[in-house]
Amino acid sequence: MIQAILFAVTAGVLVGISRQVNGRLSLSTSPMVSSFFNHIVGFAVMCVVAVIVGGLIPPTIRDIPYYAYLAGPFGVIFVAAGSLAITRIGAVNTAVLIIGGQMITGAAMDLAEGVTAAPLLRFSGLALILVGMLLAQGRRA
Amino acid sequence: MSRSLPYFFVAFAAGCLMAVMTHLNAVTAFYGSPMFASWVGHGAGTIAAIIILAVLYLIRPKDTASEPKPRAPWWAYLGGVSGAATVITASLAVNSPLALSGAIALGLGGQVLFSLAADQWGFFGLAARKLDRRDLLTVAFILAGSLLVILAGAQA
Repeated sequence: MIQAILFAVTAGVLVGISRQVNGRLSLSTSPMVSSFFNHIVGFAVMCVVAVIVGGLIPPTIRDIPYYAYLAGPFGVIFVAAGSLAITRIGAVNTAVLIIGGQMITGAAMDLAEGVTAAPLLRFSGLALILVGMLLAQGRRA
Repeated sequence: MSRSLPYFFVAFAAGCLMAVMTHLNAVTAFYGSPMFASWVGHGAGTIAAIIILAVLYLIRPKDTASEPKPRAPWWAYLGGVSGAATVITASLAVNSPLALSGAIALGLGGQVLFSLAADQWGFFGLAARKLDRRDLLTVAFILAGSLLVILAGAQA
């Protein structure tokens, strides 16, 4: 259990490190160039991982709907946006705004799919997130 | 209206995009594995980035005599290593007794704690931004709200 907790927390820290490092590169280049290097380097690493682990190409590859491959291009915009934001409003604001947007959109997507469990919990959570985001942008500079 | 407000919108919109992206990645991972989803995502992303950069280059305004930027340190090109490592640690965490909701909650916690430290001390060549009480309050609200939303999701 301790190990699983460490993995989960580390995953979060790695997200923060990657945004910080990409932000630094965007200062010297541009957010899009930074996003390009993030993806090409990440692709190289994933190629190595795939060779080590094996079984990269799933046998059900033809079942994957084409729209799912949009995740990659969306990721490029996501990383560029994160690199731009972190250099202007800092790591905390960037992180909390991204998390807020993610939670609100995720909940909206759940609702659209007819997932309506625990509405009280869900909406009070979203309300807290909204308050947090308003607080974040209210700070001067 | 503060000058930084547009960047708050940029970060918020990025989060919205992230939710859609996570969903698409989950679709790909369902038919394959998280490893395949990340591999193909980074590959498709690289191609998309090249196309976007080419378009930006073609439509660039003429004679932009921008001041020279400081050179990037070598490690600044390695953000993708950390991004790829995230996939591995995240899938290890999800395939554990924590399950998806627990892994997401702890991951958010790790990300926010790191960001607090990064702002306070200025990690990886980015400027420090001394934390104040409002930052801590913001973080508390966002994390508490996220926990409730995750809990609600886990009950579905």
